Amino acid sequence: MTLVYLILGTVFGFILSRSGAADYGFIQGMFLFTEFQLYGIIAVAVMVTAPGIWLIKQRGRTILGQRLSIEMKPLHRGNVAGGVLFGIGWSIAGMCPGPILVNIGEGKIYALAALAGALVGAGLLGSLYPALQRPLALPPLNAGAGEG
Amino acid sequence: MSLILHGLPPLHWALAGIGIAGVTLALLFLANRRLGISTGFEDICSLALPLPYFQRAAVTSGREWRLPLLAGLVLGGFLSAALGGGWQPTWALGLFDRAIGFGPAGKLAWMFVGGLFIGFGTRLAGGCTSGHGIFGLANLELPSLVTTISFLAAGIVTTQIVYRVLFPLVGL
Repeated sequence: MTLVYLILGTVFGFILSRSGAADYGFIQGMFLFTEFQLYGIIAVAVMVTAPGIWLIKQRGRTILGQRLSIEMKPLHRGNVAGGVLFGIGWSIAGMCPGPILVNIGEGKIYALAALAGALVGAGLLGSLYPALQRPLALPPLNAGAGEG
Repeated sequence: MSLILHGLPPLHWALAGIGIAGVTLALLFLANRRLGISTGFEDICSLALPLPYFQRAAVTSGREWRLPLLAGLVLGGFLSAALGGGWQPTWALGLFDRAIGFGPAGKLAWMFVGGLFIGFGTRLAGGCTSGHGIFGLANLELPSLVTTISFLAAGIVTTQIVYRVLFPLVGL
């Protein structure tokens, strides 16, 4: 299965690279309302994925016959607080998490600094989680704020 | 508008959207996994940090599939560059170079700060553009709608401040 994940990641990375989703200019164009590209990509991706998920749920099993299990994300105040912080970061770096890795692959040197920042940021969140749990009504530590 | 990468023309947005949907659905149908990239940062942290948050089963059990997926993203970017005009290290940053113009050290600092917000924010929100914005919205999950609206709004406000107030570019 490792090879399946590697191949899917490679296809995903190639699409992100060539579509503008991993391009600083197209990300700023989205936020400046001067480029439709990213809105189109996200809208089509969601509109095609939605009926696909519905169909797979109807079947209830994966292609290998494994029982389908989709872990739902929890609702908490971290959705807004974390979402706002992430949006600021997405604008500053012009990359969201996947495209950080894609940009590194493309040879964009500065993306390594974005990855270093993201790992330090995730590390900080992990160490502060117990302190943030009560004020932000986050799920128990062993569950986390949501996998994804 | 063309990509920073060799000035290539971008794929049509509809084609790119369908491709991303295909990857998302393949991940679910083949491997029973919901698409999500940002938890991969926790997986990487879990290799080095002994904190309880990173050593919980939800994180460590995901390493076997998320780490190869993340490696694939790097490989996909590499192939895209190699097949699209050749792979070579670059500092080019398009609009940033024209309007802000920091050199390499400034870019590293800028990107590190951006990364801090991304790493902390995505893990606090429980997901990023892929896990909330694509999979969560497509699966009609309320937390994903709340998070997606939050990060899009914050991105719009931040970029408007950076490029229309702090570093305005004529003709933008």
